[in-house]
Amino acid sequence: MTELQAERAAESLGVPRIEAQSKRLRYLDVLIAVAAFAVLATLPFLFSSKALLDFVIRCSAFGLFATSLNLLVGYTGMISFGHGMFFGLGAYGFGLIMQRTGVPIPVAFVGTLLITAVVSVMIGAICVRLKEIYFAFVTLAFQMLIHSMILSWASLTGGDQGLRGGIPRPVFIGIDLTNHIHLYFVSCALLVTGLLLMRQIVQSPFGYTLRMIRDNAGRASFIGIDVWRAKLTIFVLAALLASTGGIIMSLFVSGAYPEFAYWTISGEGIFINMLGGVTTFLGPMVGTVLLLILNDTVTRLTEYYGIVLGIVILFFAIGLRKGLMDFAVEWYEQRRGGGRERTR
Amino acid sequence: MTKSGQPGISRRSTLALMGAGAVTVATPWVARAQAKTIKIGMPTILSGRVAQLGTSSRNGVMIEVDKVNAAGGLAGRQIEMVIRDSKGQPQEAARVARELVNTDGCELLLDGEASSGSFAVHEVARDLGVLCIHTCSEASSLTADPKQHIPNAFRSVRQGIHDSIVGGSYAAAISKAKGLKKWATCAPDYAYGRDTTGEFTLYLKRFAPDVEIISDSWPKLFQPDYTEVVTKILQAKPQALYTCLWGGDLTSYIDQANIYAMFAQMEVFAVNMADYTALTVVKNLPKGIHSGNRYIKTFPATPENAAWGDAYKAKYNEYPTNWSWQNATAVMLLSEAARKANSTDGKKIAEVLAGLTIKCPFGADGTVTMRGDDHTLIGYAIGWGTTIPQEPYVPEVKAGDWKTILELEAEWKKSKGYT
Repeated sequence: MTELQAERAAESLGVPRIEAQSKRLRYLDVLIAVAAFAVLATLPFLFSSKALLDFVIRCSAFGLFATSLNLLVGYTGMISFGHGMFFGLGAYGFGLIMQRTGVPIPVAFVGTLLITAVVSVMIGAICVRLKEIYFAFVTLAFQMLIHSMILSWASLTGGDQGLRGGIPRPVFIGIDLTNHIHLYFVSCALLVTGLLLMRQIVQSPFGYTLRMIRDNAGRASFIGIDVWRAKLTIFVLAALLASTGGIIMSLFVSGAYPEFAYWTISGEGIFINMLGGVTTFLGPMVGTVLLLILNDTVTRLTEYYGIVLGIVILFFAIGLRKGLMDFAVEWYEQRRGGGRERTR
Repeated sequence: MTKSGQPGISRRSTLALMGAGAVTVATPWVARAQAKTIKIGMPTILSGRVAQLGTSSRNGVMIEVDKVNAAGGLAGRQIEMVIRDSKGQPQEAARVARELVNTDGCELLLDGEASSGSFAVHEVARDLGVLCIHTCSEASSLTADPKQHIPNAFRSVRQGIHDSIVGGSYAAAISKAKGLKKWATCAPDYAYGRDTTGEFTLYLKRFAPDVEIISDSWPKLFQPDYTEVVTKILQAKPQALYTCLWGGDLTSYIDQANIYAMFAQMEVFAVNMADYTALTVVKNLPKGIHSGNRYIKTFPATPENAAWGDAYKAKYNEYPTNWSWQNATAVMLLSEAARKANSTDGKKIAEVLAGLTIKCPFGADGTVTMRGDDHTLIGYAIGWGTTIPQEPYVPEVKAGDWKTILELEAEWKKSKGYT
């Protein structure tokens, strides 16, 4: 779908022209991204805590994964229960390329994204035709298929013991990913770039098309939008970003394990979205930070992590009935007197 | 820019929050500087389906740590264990291991992880250079594969290949005596199950070449219903069955197979039966199941082993598991190595640990050795026997011969391209 078509679609729905506004927002987004990276880059100089760096690296991996899931869940209305397969694919693809071929890291990175693109096009082409619960379950089925393949194809993947022997991380353009600080900076750069990219996607006419499909796919189709193609495109883009999250995780643990492609990872992604909220762009990122803080602190204090997590889920699901960012934004708007329409 | 006039977080509050954050981040470093005790970190599985792995490992460690502390500590420093749950997830195991070293100030690691988690912790040990003893993972490749070898990692655990060699030779002897030629296998469908079954049948056929495997079943790990597997085996009518199911899977399987009177129709060889966790949970333990020893206080039949089992039972009100003795052995090895090195420095301990032989209640001859070339435990008590429904459960265990084990293990390593 072209921008012209999207604008026509927007105009036909009575939505005001957004071009000028979106251009301004785009510059603002870039500025915010640069500022965010600058803040993250100063952290290692302010704090000597390696745990803090580990935390940010893990936030980068899960943040990219969860925000990319929100492109499907929050923006397109496609509730995927199998998004974790691309996280796993990223980790395994990158780990295997590095272990078996010894190519430079950027080549392995691009290679992994290419593999993910091919696999996600094949899986997406089948899944995006389906609606709601059928889509959710078929994505889950594909995830279990990939997980089973990882377990069974032991000669390639190491089976349930994962990719062993460490992932080689040769120096490229002066960056040594065996050095923790270097890994931290690369993770932050990937996170900020990934988030900026996703922000551009959701603020573009294509992003608005996705919202239209979410709200009324029939109407979108009637005004000439190829719904299948739009859904497939966002499915593949989300897969690529989830895969990038998986690559960061594989670098962090220097390996890849079948659990990365198991349904529990997808479940965590859904839970992060519930926790942070799906109606704001940064909701999943906030959810990621919350979940990881919760995980790290509760695990330090007790082994009954499951009970604490369950109570938190109940609080958000039954108490707030929305994610934290949704709640915060609504509360802020009410304080401002309400009425101002959110463009999301 | 105009002020909104809305109340919000004041500058003072922000500064206070930042200050509190900085204190939180700095606290562990301050704490470390003051430490006279030595902290030993231990990521393990304390929740979920295999939580018993973590709890009995923790018990095994603590019973020995208390002894070491009472005797003056590790080279004069009291041990403080920091034991944390990884929930059985490798990325959590890696995170917890890093946190234990980087934030909590642990100077040594005991890795109480199973399967993929142990490989994740191994990579952390490789990255951080911290001394690490694997205390639960039986995967042979963890130490046999030279790609895994690092100078600061050891394993105080039995190995799948050792069990298979002893099991294969024991089963072959029974096979020949009773004329058991038709065999079936039933193992959980993951690397441990497939590898262990493959190695067992390899050595069974080596010692008894006329044996034939006529049926194999691969139930999923943690499968609740085994009806299909049991009926498949009964239909094949084998004379003997080998299984390496373990824990809750094994007890469920036996309870369900009992309904079909399976154990009266064939000889059963269950390598993981002779562990109290399985022996005491099965409703009607059939007589005459052949099993490898996991932990049993009557094997080795020494007063030291019996006393250790009783002391454990008295302290925790349950019998030790296979994981318990392996973890206890890790602390015994650490303690002796630190004493010999007269230091708690990881590198110095590692140098002494390689090739170290210590007195140990779980040794085949009263001692165990941390083999120098691949950093894995040898000389531990290993054998097979048959069950009875009440204590001592496995009255007579036929001990494996370590000379044969080591010869065949060397051959196996060569065949795998490890040497």
